[in-house]
Amino acid sequence: MTMLPGIQRMGECEWQVPVGYVPGMRVPGIFFLSEALAGTLEEGAIQQLANVATMPGIVAHSLAMPDIHWGYGFPIGGVAGFSLDEGVISPGGVGFDINCGVRLLSTPLKEDDLWKRRELVERLFRAVPTGVGGKSTLRLSGRELDGMLLEGSAWAVREGYGIDEDILLCEQNGCMKEADTASVSQKARQRGMPQSGTLGSGNHFLEVQVVSEVYHPEAARVFGIFPGQICIMIHCGSRGLGHQVCTDHLHTLEAATRKYQIMLPDRQLACAPIDSPEGRAYFGAMAASANYAWANRQVIMHYTRKVMEDLYGIPYQEMHMVYDVAHNVAKIEEHVVGGKRMKVCVHRKGATRAFGPGAPDLPAGYASVGQPVIIPGSMGTPSFLLHGTATAMEKTFGSTCHGAGRVMSRTQAKKRLTGKEVRDALGKEGIIVRAPSDAAIADEAPEVYKPSIEVVRVVHEVGLSRLVARFEPLGVIKG
Amino acid sequence: MSFEELEHTADVKMRVRAATLEDLFSEAGRALMQVMYGRPGKDGQTRRITVRGHDLESLMHAFLSELLFITEVDGLVISGADVRIHQGILDGEVRGEPFSIDAHNEGRGVKGISYSGLSIVHDQEYYILDVIFDV
Repeated sequence: MTMLPGIQRMGECEWQVPVGYVPGMRVPGIFFLSEALAGTLEEGAIQQLANVATMPGIVAHSLAMPDIHWGYGFPIGGVAGFSLDEGVISPGGVGFDINCGVRLLSTPLKEDDLWKRRELVERLFRAVPTGVGGKSTLRLSGRELDGMLLEGSAWAVREGYGIDEDILLCEQNGCMKEADTASVSQKARQRGMPQSGTLGSGNHFLEVQVVSEVYHPEAARVFGIFPGQICIMIHCGSRGLGHQVCTDHLHTLEAATRKYQIMLPDRQLACAPIDSPEGRAYFGAMAASANYAWANRQVIMHYTRKVMEDLYGIPYQEMHMVYDVAHNVAKIEEHVVGGKRMKVCVHRKGATRAFGPGAPDLPAGYASVGQPVIIPGSMGTPSFLLHGTATAMEKTFGSTCHGAGRVMSRTQAKKRLTGKEVRDALGKEGIIVRAPSDAAIADEAPEVYKPSIEVVRVVHEVGLSRLVARFEPLGVIKG
Repeated sequence: MSFEELEHTADVKMRVRAATLEDLFSEAGRALMQVMYGRPGKDGQTRRITVRGHDLESLMHAFLSELLFITEVDGLVISGADVRIHQGILDGEVRGEPFSIDAHNEGRGVKGISYSGLSIVHDQEYYILDVIFDV
């Protein structure tokens, strides 16, 4: 098999990037990848993994999950923990789409009950604003936006966009208490106001799915999942508000990097000590954006439940949320590092929290199984539900992969496939796709991603999370 | 002046060329619109713009980030810019047309302008910008 030079094999699917791979590394890099995926590994991604290892206060290892690919700042699939005393916080470890994440909603329907499938997709498409320039039907006041930023999911539920149990079924109960609205600029607020309750574009989607396989019946039962069940998956983030927060603080932190004389190999890794004015301001604004994203997914789930209630007569309360996880976020968590329990600032950039059984912040009902981990497929490919593990707690700050990861550039995708061809091919497989434009469909064709099954197989084998169920798409709303 | 899309797996990488620095900024704005809407805008409306940077790259980053804000909040699809650059301050006007869902639906949302891989070089003839948009 071919692996890039300079990388050492540590196990079947575990690889080490030794200190010295790039100058200034403080810890080694570790990534998880199967032989089948080795061919998709870009040198740029390993360089970025090594770059992260040069940042002040990094503890244990600079990590990457098997969906690793070349991003900006951190690689996508990157995870790193920083000590609170000597460590830094960086928007390069979170990304522009703060708390981009996934939410899974279960229904009591089975596949046979899903008549009027085309009408369902059409109504969902009309109910949830999507795409570039897609505008919200909400008219938020400044005060309401503050509510979203400070309280996240709880705000949305209080405003009538859900039920109390939804709040407890979010990572962090759908709210980072460190949110600081004073660090969210007017510009970010201006972008966030008209976009609340919208899906956005790119790889974001809302999908009607069927449970095609259950791998772990006991965990599935605990999560309320059964074979043949219809579920709905929502994948989106903090929209223009989060993007602007990242942009604003990137500028502040670039100046801070010079002020604190931090040497960095990539400007996108701009950072500041966690407990500095600049670091605290970014953290507070990022937390507020994360809350906005949780509230956003809550509102979109509400629209979805209303459509299902209307079309199939299912009572709102009988559509239970399974869980909601963040992909792009930095959080203060407790982990064991070198045999010692300590607080660390964990950055996850295109990676999912995967806390094991008995870990803090799990809903009471899930404590024996571990945290649900939701891995969205790309358009037209299966998605997966897994559960967190003790192994993830030991090896990766309780983290696992987040999705498939692209393997084909958009320029290549456009040359190879038209949106109509992709739509027709998916239609033949019984998958209805609705999007604002064909360009959006061609861009996200199944072929441009790594097979998500292989990515998920690696984390299952390594034990960073364990498979619970598989979901096949039936209808897709693309952003 | 010209721009082209280069190979990049996850995001969109653009290369922009122009004879003068001022034109480079204008053309970079058009490249951003091409990605977001499938084509740059047409002239019609104008809007003032002022941004600061401590070097050329940070000025470009600030400029493109500001265009992202303008296009999203004001719904202006930009066709070009007439700017002056002096002592780290860019000042001038951007031109464009109002966003229309029917005319501007062949692109994809840009989340942010990446600092990774952002470079501006000057060869014999041209200023050349490489920039990655997070989509």
